[in-house]
This record gives sequence, C-alpha cells and structure tokens, in this order.
Amino acid sequence: MLKSLVSFLSIIAIPVLIFTFLLWGIFKRVKVYEVFVDGAKEGFNVAIRIIPYLVAMLVAIGIFRASGAMDFLTIALNPITSLIGFPAEALTMALMRPLSGSGSLGIMIELMKVHGADSFIGVLSSTMYGSSETTFYVLAVYFGSVNIKRIRHSLPAGLLADLAGMLGALFVCRLLFF
Amino acid sequence: MLNYIWISLIVFGVVVAITVDLNDQSSNKYRNGMEFQAEIQLQKPFGVGVNTSQDATLMVSRAHFEQFYGPKTVQHDTILQPASVTLTKDGSGTILLSADDHTPSIWKEMSRAAVTKDKLSGKILSFTRGGDDRTMEAIIVFEPITFVRIKQVTQAALDYATMAVNIALGLIGIMALWLGIMRIADEAGAIKLLARVLRPFMKFLFPDVPSDHPAVGSMIMNISANMLGLSNAATPLGLKAMEELDKLNPRKGVATNAMCTFLAINTAGLTLIPATAIAVRAAAGSSNPTVIVGATIIGGLCSTTVGILAAKLLQRLPVFRKQLDGTEEGAKP
Repeated sequence: MLKSLVSFLSIIAIPVLIFTFLLWGIFKRVKVYEVFVDGAKEGFNVAIRIIPYLVAMLVAIGIFRASGAMDFLTIALNPITSLIGFPAEALTMALMRPLSGSGSLGIMIELMKVHGADSFIGVLSSTMYGSSETTFYVLAVYFGSVNIKRIRHSLPAGLLADLAGMLGALFVCRLLFF
Repeated sequence: MLNYIWISLIVFGVVVAITVDLNDQSSNKYRNGMEFQAEIQLQKPFGVGVNTSQDATLMVSRAHFEQFYGPKTVQHDTILQPASVTLTKDGSGTILLSADDHTPSIWKEMSRAAVTKDKLSGKILSFTRGGDDRTMEAIIVFEPITFVRIKQVTQAALDYATMAVNIALGLIGIMALWLGIMRIADEAGAIKLLARVLRPFMKFLFPDVPSDHPAVGSMIMNISANMLGLSNAATPLGLKAMEELDKLNPRKGVATNAMCTFLAINTAGLTLIPATAIAVRAAAGSSNPTVIVGATIIGGLCSTTVGILAAKLLQRLPVFRKQLDGTEEGAKP
C-alpha cells in the first residue's frame, strides 16, 4: 500500500511540479518564457564548471579500481570486519559504494549472479547499494559547481554516514533475512 | 583532507599495480616464451589455403591447461577457443585468439594487454597432423605479455577522464531545464513558501541560513527528489541549492557549515524507493525484488542520522573551525 503510494508519487512528482510552478508563475504575472530562458542560461556554465573537479576525482578512482588495490584492501580489512559477522563478499561492496556508482553496481550484479538474488548475500548487497550514495562523486559535483576546493569536514561526515549505512544494512538484513 | 585521500588513491593504485606486475613477471604468470601444446581443428583440410588465414578451433583439456597455467585458471572441462590460423608451407604458422565469454580468464587478461587489443597472437612453431585431414597437434608460443596492470591503470586514467567530461556535458540539458523552472518558481514566490512550511526543521539543520532565503527552498526540493529516487531532478536542484548557499559564503572556495551538513544529507542518500537495486534484483531473477525496501529505508535512516550528527559535531573541531574563520596556519591574509 505504502509502497505503491511512494512509487505513484515518484512517477507524477516531476510533471506535477513543473506544471504547478508554471501555472503559479502565470498566476503571479511572471514573464514565464523570458524568465525560464534567463535561468536556463546558467545550466551550461554550471556543467562546465564541474569538469575539472570531476576529472580529478574520477581519474583517481579509476586508477585505484584498475590497479586491483581493492582486493588487497579487502584482504587486509576482512579479519577485522569478520569479527562482527560482515561477510567478505559484502565487504568489497561496502568499500566500493562511496567510491564508484558503476563499480558498486557491477559488484552487486556479480554477487547476485554467483549467490542468487534471494540469497543472504544478494539481499544484503542490494540493500547496501540502495541505502547509500556515491559520496566521492556527490562531493566532487556539488562542491565543483561552486568552485569550492576546501571541503572541510564534509568528507569525514560523508564517510561516517556511509559506514553507518553499511552497518545498519547489515544489522537489518541479519535480523530479517538471515 | 581531500588532498590526502586523493593522492592516496592514486599512489596506492599505482604502487599496487607495479608490485603485482613485478610479481607476475618473476613468477612468469603468463608463461612468456613457453611452448603450449594444443589440438587445433581447422575449417579447411590441409593443403587448402596455405598462407591465408582461416577460422579454427583450439581444443585444450582442463587438466592440460591447469598443468600449464596453474590450478584454478579454467571453469569448463574442455576449452573450445575460436581462433584464426595461418599455416605456411614450411610447417609453421601464426594464430590469433579473439577473447569471448567462454575464454579462460587468464587468456582474457592476456588479450587485454596484447599488442592488438583484445586479440592474443601466437606463433605456431610446428605441428603434426592428427587422425583426419582437419585436426593437428600444434606447439604454440604466445606473444610475451608484460605489465598488464599498469597498462590497465593507464587506460583507466584516460577512460575516466573522458567519462568525467561526458557526465558533465550530459548534465547541461537537464541543468538548463531545472534552472529555468526554478527561476520561474523563485520569481513567483513558490520557493519561499516551501521554505516557510518546513521552517522549524530547516532552522535546526541549517541555523546559519536565513529561513526565507531561496537556498532553503532549493534544499528542500533536492532532498525530496532524492527521497523519491528522482536522481535526474535531484542533482540540478542540489546544484541550485549550492549556488544559493554560496551567496551566503563569506570565504569563497571554502565550504560553509550549511554546505557540509547539506552534503552529509546528500551523500547519505535516503531513498524511499531504491529503483536501481530493485531493477537489478528483478533482472537477476529474484522472486521478490522489492523485499529490500524496508531494509533500505532503515539503512538510509542510519546513514542520514549519523551524517547529520557527524557534520554538526565535526564543525566544532578547531581544525575545521579555523578554516571557516580563515585563521588557520598558512592562510592568506
């Protein structure tokens, strides 16, 4: 019930939002066309401003992924994380999630192929994928768009949030599906 | 902070790549220069098409393959690898393997690092004819394969740089659309109204932002879009919010507390409908793809709560406070 309500909302949200704003604008006697074009002009600049930040971030992540360094990190961390019952397969997922969206998507697909979508590992990895965002990408794009280079505590805060999300996902999945 | 993380990703990656390559080199993982024996099934009988390339199939048993390359290198019991073979009159020739889905992983790795990409070439030193006129036992030496990882790292650096530009360019259209709509909403006063409705909540999260500032409305819309899983709309709205937040920023180039809290919420990524994960589960043949929705929301709540708390607590640390005031060491006056 709630699920279908939310999915209904996510389908109609954008058209309703755009329509409402346009009508509201006309009602308030805004020169909608001129104002729209004025605002839209900025879109190009913002996208171009992001490029250097995104190149810097994605190249570093690309080098890290292609080198296979992730395997070593997983091996090094596994003895610690297995103490709290973190499966080794899901550890790669947890480490990749903040770094790369496409990378963690690949890992999730791979884990489901090997273990099955309804297995514990399959459910856990898809929960982990769904309950977090690609922290490094978001930071590069958002701060890049306003030319901010000193990002202060936002990275540790984002990574702590990721850690909590992964542990929360593990805890809930163990409770519900193990 | 970002400086160190950035450089560690690169240095750690390059060091691992070089170490692995040197290790592969010393153990001769790819068996460079060693003679590999295999049965080859030709398309045409012997004598026909000398000196021209023809399709053929390489047949190797699992036992033989693992004896040569080491254990756990193949999944299938018999390897049937398509290849193209050119035989010469003097009883030698060349062979070219094109990697496909059934190719053993070590040959895939080798072909990726080969001179012509995705095609592993080798020399047929000699061959003896088998039972019928299309099979033969051949002795093959593959081209030497070196520095596989470092080649991959170089390729990845170039690929990801291109990808970054493509992502940014792909944003232009959708950015323009949403920024245009937002400008209308702004002039009509809709954004301010939205901010007023959620005032107490936003006042707690972002005490530094005046509650009638356009940044508040944009942030609310970005967070709502994220929760509904509308990532196409969420990014432009979020960037709009960042632009508004930057107008309140006294030190350009340095993140404010409000920005850090806002990004902590964004990177935590609370979603009510994890659309991608559900789609992948359905494609993988799950009997109940949406079973993860509840767990995902709880996971997202955990990360969002911790993200907000961490941002609020970390902003009090002297090291981060100094950056905001501009009183840290080495700062330009």
